[in-house]
Amino acid sequence: MLKVQDLKAGYGRVEVLHGLSFHVPKGELVTLIGSNGAGKTTTLRAISGMLRPQSGAILLGDADIAGLPSHQVARRGLAHSPEGRRIFPSLSVEDNLRLGAFVRLTGVREKGDVEADFDRMYDLFPRLKERRAQQAGTLSGGEQQMLAMGRALMSRPEILLLDEPSMGLAPRLVEGVFDTIRRLKEEHVTMLLVEQFAAMALDVADHAYVLENGRIRFQGAAKSLRNDPAVRSAYLGGH
Amino acid sequence: MDWISTLLQAPTTSIFWQLVASGVAVGMIYATIAFGYQLTFATSKTLNFGQGEALMLGAMLGLTLLPYLGYWLMLPVILIFGMAQGAVVERLGVRPAIETKSEFGWIMATIALGIIFRNMAENIWGRDDLKFPSPLPETAIELGTVRILPAEIMVVVGALLMMAAVETFNRRSIYGKAFVATSNDIDAAGLMGIDTRRVITMSYAMSSMTAAFAGVLVAPVTLTGATMGAVLALKAFAVAIIGGLDSALGAIVGGILLGVIETLTGYYVSTGYKDVPGLILVLIVLAIRPAGLFGRRTIKKV
Ligand SMILES: Nc1ncnc2c1ncn2[C@@H]1O[C@H](COP(=O)(O)OP(=O)(O)O)[C@@H](O)[C@H]1O
Ligand SMILES: [Mg+2]
Repeated sequence: MLKVQDLKAGYGRVEVLHGLSFHVPKGELVTLIGSNGAGKTTTLRAISGMLRPQSGAILLGDADIAGLPSHQVARRGLAHSPEGRRIFPSLSVEDNLRLGAFVRLTGVREKGDVEADFDRMYDLFPRLKERRAQQAGTLSGGEQQMLAMGRALMSRPEILLLDEPSMGLAPRLVEGVFDTIRRLKEEHVTMLLVEQFAAMALDVADHAYVLENGRIRFQGAAKSLRNDPAVRSAYLGGH
Repeated sequence: MDWISTLLQAPTTSIFWQLVASGVAVGMIYATIAFGYQLTFATSKTLNFGQGEALMLGAMLGLTLLPYLGYWLMLPVILIFGMAQGAVVERLGVRPAIETKSEFGWIMATIALGIIFRNMAENIWGRDDLKFPSPLPETAIELGTVRILPAEIMVVVGALLMMAAVETFNRRSIYGKAFVATSNDIDAAGLMGIDTRRVITMSYAMSSMTAAFAGVLVAPVTLTGATMGAVLALKAFAVAIIGGLDSALGAIVGGILLGVIETLTGYYVSTGYKDVPGLILVLIVLAIRPAGLFGRRTIKKV
């Protein structure tokens, strides 16, 4: 589904990613973990076109999307729920979701039943239904995270990139986020999940890559990394 | 302070309201142009300092087309022309500056393009002011003791309709929402599949379209000439500061405020001082409410 080959990217002259290669098979949940500043967000930004990679290939299906602007990547079926959620604060919850379906409503991607997907999102996140008419900027952090995920799903993506959906949330809400991710996985949504909560990410993921200073340090089945002594001591705090 | 007693004398109250009425008409023109500033500011945090010239070109071209098309057929042509002109300004002046991350390049570029348009107009239409015939009767309507020109009423109604049309578009259509999304968070809008560069171009097109429309609205009540836009655009900039750069209501209230203050000062004090109170108002607003009287800050909770 998504195949990244020798990706190099950075900011200005500074190279942050020094040649990453990994792939996300269709219907699987792959997680990218690593400490703060390792380059996880940069990786997702380079994939979704928010940041122009310096070199390397990013294959979405058969097409190389490296260097395409973000709106074109979105039109090819990639949804990115970015770090910090980035919902549209002055628009209503409902309009935020509707903009998630922009590519469908404007005929760029198959339209399908947008109204049914609103119901699906409200079923997934009942809180959002209660607040559908409310300005998104007035939502709590947890609700904003639900909205960011819902908005990304409204495009009916081929693949969903999630950047630290648990960031800044109370433990109970983090549980909720991971429950949602599990549910999406049951529906066979292809996902690339970036997390600092490595233990929880490894529990839900099929496959995992550990990023360190812009390089892949370990990779393997999520379960085996979960039990790998080196990974445990460095990223799981011994848990 | 003899102007206060002049003001309070009964026979002159009709003059007072007369002045208020023309102040409102002028103010609505300022409001329309200020609204145009808001459109481009929303998407790109840039302003078209050639807005006055967009207005002037609308009026001048309208005058040229008038004998062939008549007033009402000329209007849609001017709207389309305005859009094209705005798109050209964005592509030539603004996009290069945004893409090279030049923080102030767009200021010089839009001013320069404005001057070029003004020179072109002087060469095509000459330097003299021309008379723009009103599509409506030239006899004033009496409302009580106040006499108002039909063309002045058209300015107010037309300006309100234009702003209402754009606002409705933004609130109801998915493309309008894409416009608002771009102004909220341009990177996130891109992730939705919105071509934000095109949104910025469109915002310039719509901004110049409103200005060109304001040009044909105001032309019958003022003189029409290559320099007609410069002062209007400057006043409208003051209005955008008074009302705030993100509120249509602010543009309307600010425009009327400035228009009325000006006409009253011009009559009761001296035409030589007519610009002073408005500029003082700008300074006051900047000091106590830098976001403008109606400038909103969206609540952002984390
Ligand atoms: N906008 C930016 N400009 C310059 N450097 C940046 C920017 N964003 C991130 N970096 C740098 O890139 C590196 C990787 O950051 P990031 O991808 O955000 O890491 P992570 O998401 O894994 O915490 C860090 O050293 C960070 O300082
Ligand atoms: Mg990050």
